[in-house]
Amino acid sequence: MNGKRDKILAILLLLVCSAISQARIKLVALPERAATVIRLDNPRATLIEEERVLTLQEGVNKVDFSWKGVSIDADSIRLRPIGHPDPPPQLSAKAEAGGAGKVTLLSVSYPPGEAALVWDISSDSDYAETVRISYLLSNIDRLITYKAIADKPETYVDLKSFLVLRNFSGEDFDRARVLLDYGEAFEQGIDHEETKRMLFLKADKVPITKVWTFDAAKLPWDPEKLPAPASPDASRGGGENRNVGIPVSYRIVNNANSKLGEFALWGGKARLFQDDGHDSTIFLGEDVTGLVPVGEKMELYIGDSRDIVVTQRKMTDAQINIRRNNKDKIILYDTDEVITARIENFKDSPAILTVIQHIPGQPAATVRQHGEWDMEKCNMKYKKKDANTLEFEIELPARTEEGPAVKELKMHYHRRNVRP
Amino acid sequence: MKRIILTLLIIAVMAGVSRGKVDLVTLPSRDTVQLTIYNSADMTLVREGRALTLKDGKNKLQFSWVNTLIDPTSLEMLPKADADKIDIADLTYPPRVRNLGLWNIESGVSGEVPVEITYLTSGLSWRAFYVGTLTEDEKTMRLQGYVRVTNNSGEDYENAQTRLIVGRVHILDEIAELARRQYPYGRPGEIAPLSGVSVRGLDRRVKMEMEEKIAWAGAPKEIRKEGLSEYFLYTIEGTETIPTGWSKRLLSFDVDKVPVVNLYKYEEERYGNSVVRFLGFKNDEEHNLGDTPIPGGMLKVYRDADNQGHLSYTGQSSFKYIPVDEDVELNLGSVANVVVEPKLVNFETENYRFNHRGNISGWDEICTFKVEVKNTREIPVKIEIQRNFNTPYWKLEKGGNFDKYEKVDLDTVKFTLSLEPRSKKEFEYTLTTYHGVRQEDWKKASR
Repeated sequence: MNGKRDKILAILLLLVCSAISQARIKLVALPERAATVIRLDNPRATLIEEERVLTLQEGVNKVDFSWKGVSIDADSIRLRPIGHPDPPPQLSAKAEAGGAGKVTLLSVSYPPGEAALVWDISSDSDYAETVRISYLLSNIDRLITYKAIADKPETYVDLKSFLVLRNFSGEDFDRARVLLDYGEAFEQGIDHEETKRMLFLKADKVPITKVWTFDAAKLPWDPEKLPAPASPDASRGGGENRNVGIPVSYRIVNNANSKLGEFALWGGKARLFQDDGHDSTIFLGEDVTGLVPVGEKMELYIGDSRDIVVTQRKMTDAQINIRRNNKDKIILYDTDEVITARIENFKDSPAILTVIQHIPGQPAATVRQHGEWDMEKCNMKYKKKDANTLEFEIELPARTEEGPAVKELKMHYHRRNVRP
Repeated sequence: MKRIILTLLIIAVMAGVSRGKVDLVTLPSRDTVQLTIYNSADMTLVREGRALTLKDGKNKLQFSWVNTLIDPTSLEMLPKADADKIDIADLTYPPRVRNLGLWNIESGVSGEVPVEITYLTSGLSWRAFYVGTLTEDEKTMRLQGYVRVTNNSGEDYENAQTRLIVGRVHILDEIAELARRQYPYGRPGEIAPLSGVSVRGLDRRVKMEMEEKIAWAGAPKEIRKEGLSEYFLYTIEGTETIPTGWSKRLLSFDVDKVPVVNLYKYEEERYGNSVVRFLGFKNDEEHNLGDTPIPGGMLKVYRDADNQGHLSYTGQSSFKYIPVDEDVELNLGSVANVVVEPKLVNFETENYRFNHRGNISGWDEICTFKVEVKNTREIPVKIEIQRNFNTPYWKLEKGGNFDKYEKVDLDTVKFTLSLEPRSKKEFEYTLTTYHGVRQEDWKKASR
């Protein structure tokens, strides 16, 4: 324990004679922290484990644990004797037969109006007993950040991950063993209000897949019909000259083929760079990733491509097979819909564009939305992602001297049994 | 003006010597500096080369950046020699000290080691703008592209290799906001970063101050352009010194005789009853362009007024990013010298249908429009007229003098006409729209 500041954890060992009932005032020893572990395996809470040597006397000992200027969850405080632990019930008979010593935690008391507790510890002899005290400490945690440098052709990244320790707990840790949910523990000291960043994962040449995605539900269909940007010059010109960016992502699989896959990759902010071929890099973009379990994909959105242009239009939208009630009101109909999407690749390299199309459903008795539809004709293959969502993977060749590579997706479908 | 110094102190810690006893070894200056400036976000990647003198064993290296707009979470140092013998153990942001980082380095070598320090900073920016000068006959245009680099970072960058990124990067946090945080990574449980002054507000203020100064126009330098990922990298020849608070304007390209189309558009739903002028060209070889995409910016268009070099101002348009081979149409605003007048000349209804109660359940509406198009200019023009019908159930019969007609989408058509100087054309179309149960008949007929 660091006694430099007033924000301290104090542990007092009070010798209690059986005749003294209110013995919290009698100081016997102020044991130093022997070994400290900062356990960061749970992102929601940090567990501190510290070992201290208590000088116990035969009989009942009172140990006072108090804290000031730090935020400890009092219910989380646990004490465990290490040298002469009270064996579990099923083993106690055997232990007694073997004549093993015994240090037993009898009770825990919380004094009124104080950030403190008192342990009653029974000892069958005089011991210098090592105990492990653990508790959940607030305002100390860890973050994970990633830095990835892609090669020029964008086939792999050199991936680094950094652990950022942030200690705003009020407590200085001169030297502690820091444990994550995987990997070796390491020694680190960290003071109150200090932040430390250290490299903890390095994987070179991790394969990546570059992904362009046009989601018809998220992006404007017709770039020409974008509203004019607010500009003082709008009245004198300006206007519809706006690009629609197609989101670009890098996909990394957390598996052995990627030289990863040993453990789940924690969520955190990732910054991506690219080797520019001139012994330097450019910054490509940044994204935040969630936890990526082994075998799963991490997808990092880096920015938007303006060299792939999608112009989607509805060419037909009509009601057919109309059914009416005897008041001549339409009660059910099908639709006849044609959607075309012209896709232009102005890049001088090929690309695979994922196009996501949605055929809207309507509320049904059993499900929130049903997708009762059939495709009359579609000129490209698609995967049905769910009842209402279609996914196309469209290979776009590079631009040639003649101009951009152009493909046209045409879907002719009918929504069935639509109720007005 | 703020004078900012980045300090780099090396403190060698001898084995067995307590932390308090430190030995200041050297204060190395920047050997090289490279700036990669983005325009889609207030962000610049700075790469500095410095030579550190390390001692065998543990070294502490202090880096401070008072009064700059550096994002401390982006700081990274890499040795450029003996990388396998130099271990950068951690970077510590000490408590209660702002704008300071302390690298703990374990060195297996003693002596001078070149290192590269990279970080992201705010306050440097660039933008593209263009000047177009049309010939008197408006058939071609001289197009000059400029970039203007502004340094409001608080730091003077001397002899910096300057690179500009064209493209739209995705970022999560404003760099200026990260730079102003009390703690580089915030505190546990903290959601919103601390921010004293609004970044945009500051930028605008500084920008206004900058606008008052005359941009420094340097000697023309070549700008090398190359594609990387989804971006284009412009590297300005040689190095630049841009003191904080200053801007520099550089010529990006200068192309003469870019063939242009004088395009006029009429669409009531978008432009009202006015005709809007567009300047069309293509970013390709035929138009003496097409080497690289053209970054977005404002284009001011002038026209040669006479053969004595006088100019007349035509208009301006915001310029979007134009990929290679893409057609571009620049909106120069509404005009009065090209006129489009559609007139409804006839209206009829027919084909009434009645339900079993005798009420109307369907009918057709037949509208005949006459469209008069006038070019009062002394140059030939191309005119596009779009008509929207607000229903997908329609049929169109056309007649008269127009070059091209096409269906744009389910309820829009486009007529294209070319008009000689001071000429007039007229055409007619008859639009039949189907209503009520007649829509079912329309569908059967069209299938």
